[in-house]
Amino acid sequence: MVSAPGMKQGIPLTSSAKRWLLLAIRLLLGGVFLYASLDKILKPYHFAAAVQAYQLLPPSLLGMATVFIPWLEAVAATALIIGFRPRSAVVVLSVLMVVFMIAIAVTMARGLDIDCGCGLLVERPVGWLALLEDGLLLLLLVGLYTALLPQRSPVS
Amino acid sequence: MIKHDLTWAAGLVLLGLALGLVTQWGVIQHGLQGTLELQIAAVEKEEAARRLAAIRTYTLDQALARHQEGRTLFIDAREPDEFRELHIERALNIPASQISAKFVAAALAGVALDHPIVVYCGSVDCHASLRVAEFLQKLGYTQVGVYEGGFRAWDEAGYPVDIVR
Repeated sequence: MVSAPGMKQGIPLTSSAKRWLLLAIRLLLGGVFLYASLDKILKPYHFAAAVQAYQLLPPSLLGMATVFIPWLEAVAATALIIGFRPRSAVVVLSVLMVVFMIAIAVTMARGLDIDCGCGLLVERPVGWLALLEDGLLLLLLVGLYTALLPQRSPVS
Repeated sequence: MIKHDLTWAAGLVLLGLALGLVTQWGVIQHGLQGTLELQIAAVEKEEAARRLAAIRTYTLDQALARHQEGRTLFIDAREPDEFRELHIERALNIPASQISAKFVAAALAGVALDHPIVVYCGSVDCHASLRVAEFLQKLGYTQVGVYEGGFRAWDEAGYPVDIVR
């Protein structure tokens, strides 16, 4: 790995515009996930009701999912915001997005008409819109991961 | 590089699990002991009560009086198949599951925003009527209320019902 002064987590400081863009995306994604997770952590039984509506988990696992999903989200989002191992944080969030998308797709296939429990500001039903939104977030995460990988800077 | 990332990702996961265990052990325990559903139901009931406080509610007798007086529009928030089977006489069906501004605009075409409206669903325990009533309020309907007893109590009392012909 090439290491130059001022280089952190492999981000070369070749272009300050790119650096600011990456920071903005990190803060934006981190903020969205942190906000979403805090809402679930502060209202665990509301979130439990939302998870229960998916009818995918037995009660014993429902409690764990209710607690662990938002905490994983919160820890990864915080890491992304403060810049602690951001690529690893992106990996955790991406896995969560994949899990959410599978849950939504299965629910759509089963024809259940429920609230997705994923609306940040408004309630939204499970459907293509929720799936698309998660897909976009996943794309952003994958793009961010790639952008955060260290690039071999040309030695001039 | 990727292995390194995955190792740290696992570390973040462990931290998340630990924080969850420490801060919200009670929720996990409810899940393990099978009492989580009771907790959920209690919270939902509380939530519904809080939301109902912001909306006008009708008892069975009050709803009947409104129905007999004839000017109030009754809206059935249950699913279309339940509605087709039997509903309060002259009620319109706006299922909570299908609610959207477009659906309401089509269903309530020509209904003034200050027209008295009473929404109901299956029974005391359903929240569909509340959802529809809140949505109508958001759209600007000012005289929206919820008949709490739901269709079951109405039917059991032998009040006028109708089927879709």
